[in-house]
Amino acid sequence: MGKVRFVGHRDVARIVERGLRRCGVPITYSEGFSPRARMSFGLALPTCYESEAEYLDVPLDPDSIVDGQIACTGWGQGKLHNPQQMQAALSEALPTGFDVVALTVEPKGGRSLQETVVSCGWKFDILGAVTQEVEEAIERALASSEIETERKKKNELVRENIRYGVYDLRMDGESERGPIVVAELSAKPRVIRPSELVDVLAPGAEMGIARRTHQWIEHDGQRQEPLTLSKSLQLKEYS
Amino acid sequence: MTSLWTRLEPLLPRVEKPARYIGCEDGANTDIYKPDATSWLLTYPDTYEIGLPNQGLQILYELLNERQDAFAERSYAPWTDMEAQMRSNDLPLFSVDTHRPAAEFDILAFNLSAELVYTNVLNCIDLAGLAVRASERHDADPLIGAGGHCAYNPEPLADFIDFFVMGDGEEVIAEITTTVGEWRKSGKPSGSRENVLRALAQIAGVYVPSMYEATYDGAKLTGVQPKHPDVPTNVQKRTVADLADWPYPRNQLVPLTEVVHDRLNVEIFRGCTRGCRFCQAGMITRPVRERPASQVREMISKGLERTGYDEVSLTSLSTADFSNIEEVVTDTIEEPGTCGRVSVALPSLRVDAFTVGVAAQVSRARRTGLTFAPEAGSWRMRQIINKLITEEDLYEAVRSAYSQGWHRMKLYFLTGLPSEMDEDTLAIADLAENCVAIGQQYTKKASVTVSLGGFVPKPHTPFQWFGQNEPAELRRKVDLLRERLRRNKRVHLKWHSPEASTAEGITSRGDRRIGPVIEHVWRQGGTFQEWSEHFDLRLWEEAMSASKLDIEWYVDRHRDENEVLPWDHIHAGLHKDFLWQDWQDALAGFGLEDCRWTPCYDCGACTEYGIEHVVASPVPPNGGSQGTGQDLTTGHVVPVDLRPRAAVRGT
Repeated sequence: MGKVRFVGHRDVARIVERGLRRCGVPITYSEGFSPRARMSFGLALPTCYESEAEYLDVPLDPDSIVDGQIACTGWGQGKLHNPQQMQAALSEALPTGFDVVALTVEPKGGRSLQETVVSCGWKFDILGAVTQEVEEAIERALASSEIETERKKKNELVRENIRYGVYDLRMDGESERGPIVVAELSAKPRVIRPSELVDVLAPGAEMGIARRTHQWIEHDGQRQEPLTLSKSLQLKEYS
Repeated sequence: MTSLWTRLEPLLPRVEKPARYIGCEDGANTDIYKPDATSWLLTYPDTYEIGLPNQGLQILYELLNERQDAFAERSYAPWTDMEAQMRSNDLPLFSVDTHRPAAEFDILAFNLSAELVYTNVLNCIDLAGLAVRASERHDADPLIGAGGHCAYNPEPLADFIDFFVMGDGEEVIAEITTTVGEWRKSGKPSGSRENVLRALAQIAGVYVPSMYEATYDGAKLTGVQPKHPDVPTNVQKRTVADLADWPYPRNQLVPLTEVVHDRLNVEIFRGCTRGCRFCQAGMITRPVRERPASQVREMISKGLERTGYDEVSLTSLSTADFSNIEEVVTDTIEEPGTCGRVSVALPSLRVDAFTVGVAAQVSRARRTGLTFAPEAGSWRMRQIINKLITEEDLYEAVRSAYSQGWHRMKLYFLTGLPSEMDEDTLAIADLAENCVAIGQQYTKKASVTVSLGGFVPKPHTPFQWFGQNEPAELRRKVDLLRERLRRNKRVHLKWHSPEASTAEGITSRGDRRIGPVIEHVWRQGGTFQEWSEHFDLRLWEEAMSASKLDIEWYVDRHRDENEVLPWDHIHAGLHKDFLWQDWQDALAGFGLEDCRWTPCYDCGACTEYGIEHVVASPVPPNGGSQGTGQDLTTGHVVPVDLRPRAAVRGT
């Protein structure tokens, strides 16, 4: 969150890898000529978007897990961290704007956080748009069976009805930049981005800051988030 | 303190790679507020990705921020898409640390690593909202400074830069800070700019071009003389005597977006006395000053732990020449904190088997590319340039590399060197093909990439009198090699643009009359001239003819001994008669040994300043090397068996 929202997702992976090494997380590496740290992010976050709901799977060396605690190696050699301690250490090792807000150790072969994400929650504001007009546009969109958007795909303008993927769409007050919209948008078969909605809600206007607030998965027929935060946890704000 | 962030933020989604403009690096300075301190904006006149890793800039950044009376922020040339956004939204050049406008700083200091960035320097000054010409700036405007290797011929930028710094910046920045600080405290009243510049001109190592006048006799330069009696006739470079006193950067910046050399960089020594006659860096940074091995180790382990990098580069002009190179490399690989996963980059490797042994040792974690720089194809040519690599050295290095698992390597060469004949150029192809033949004894995949650069003579080198090859001649030589190597699928030839070498030639040995040429190219939109997609020789040709200047006279013409050179008043310690003698020796094919391990031949770099080499070992490192202690009468002999030996593979 904050200025680091302008960092692309490949760079984010590099940043996280350095953070993992700084605290001596016992990560594992790919084989071969040029071994890379194993880790997998879920859906890539578009550059310029903030997020409070990014997930990362990091396969650890199985020998390093002792009674649910993590035996650190490398620069963390000698430290034995429970998940909360590991979370705090990793947060500390990441740049301003990156925070680890939840961390769990799962058994090998257990569930992966990367189970298919079905939809994402988003919050975004629209620069200089009129709240009343956006409100009306939302009502019209939800009442209709068609929300027609345009997007560029390989230099070609593709028109598409995305009504199927708009699960939730509503106003959530105003920021100093303009009206705030909250949406839940499908991630299958493709991720629908909030920017596609801006032209529908306020033709010609620009999106302000967008933030991913949730990634929803389906587990045993239940819609849930991969990890839940403790109720008391407050997200830090950055500028 | 003004921050432009809220105005910048909405523009970032519209540009490529917006993370270039946000700062936020680990190690960056964002919360130091010193309202009474002298403020420096250290600016690299190329993109963030190229500029961020620059060690010189990072060293000064840290040193200034450690001071009570100074602080420093950084800026980089915005890419063309960002520049367009900034100009149409009236947003000036800003620091990436706190996004302050450039014009709020006391000093804008540019790093000049290459001549083709000069138009970017003008663009940055203009984007800061300042007049590009020093004479048109107002009293209270920031002072524009510049340093780095290209500052050793400051004359082409004399119209635009208020002061240049020659040599190592570690010490002189303190004196500049004090002088500029007094000007700052005075409130920078009308007429004060002239005074502060006059005071700066008296600091050793500082050159204030407006305090000097260039005189001409027709096309000929007759001198660059001080205008005032208290301004020194000659400007002497600054040299830090002992790197051990300067363990910087302590907190190397860790960028959030990928940059070149994206790894920990530890400078293991400064200076080089191999004496390659084309190499400006090796001439102007003398003497050799090694960092103590214990300090190198500490900088490596602390740096890796702090940054989380898994790669460290041991930087210098010839890394294998470091007295303790084997020990330092071994200790780095065995550092427990890295879990055996650190890779060590060894830039500027010497060409010999010892070097390859060290490289093999470091490539356990990740095998990186291997690059050698024989620089010339024939032994005759290598004697002329004093890069005394025998064919034996090269082939043993190559054999050692292929036998230890490398499949391909890169060889750097220059073309357009003094007295070069076509047979010398074609010898490059012979060398490359012989290397492949050796490789094929070990692997079917053996290949070699030849990277060919057009030679541009540089100030303060023995080749400063040499007339550069014209682009057509360079092109012809490239074509000669292309044709010769056309059928060999295992030798890949890459070459630099001969046209860009011409523009580099104009700026590297130009005088003050080149200033308007640079300005013309910039005004015609010629920024990012180092980038092939933006380089345009026609802009330079038009600019030269608009100034009624002759490219041939500036670039292709041989100079004679008595000619006044535009940089004669700038001293890097080297005696001009030493350089001339070395030029004559070059043409005669005489080699010059490395003075680290052989008696001093008094080039001037030590004796002029009362300093000496700081080298831990009194003898050259193992394994022989470029001329030291070798029989140089047989450099052209190919002592290795080039016939295929199929059975050897896999050893």
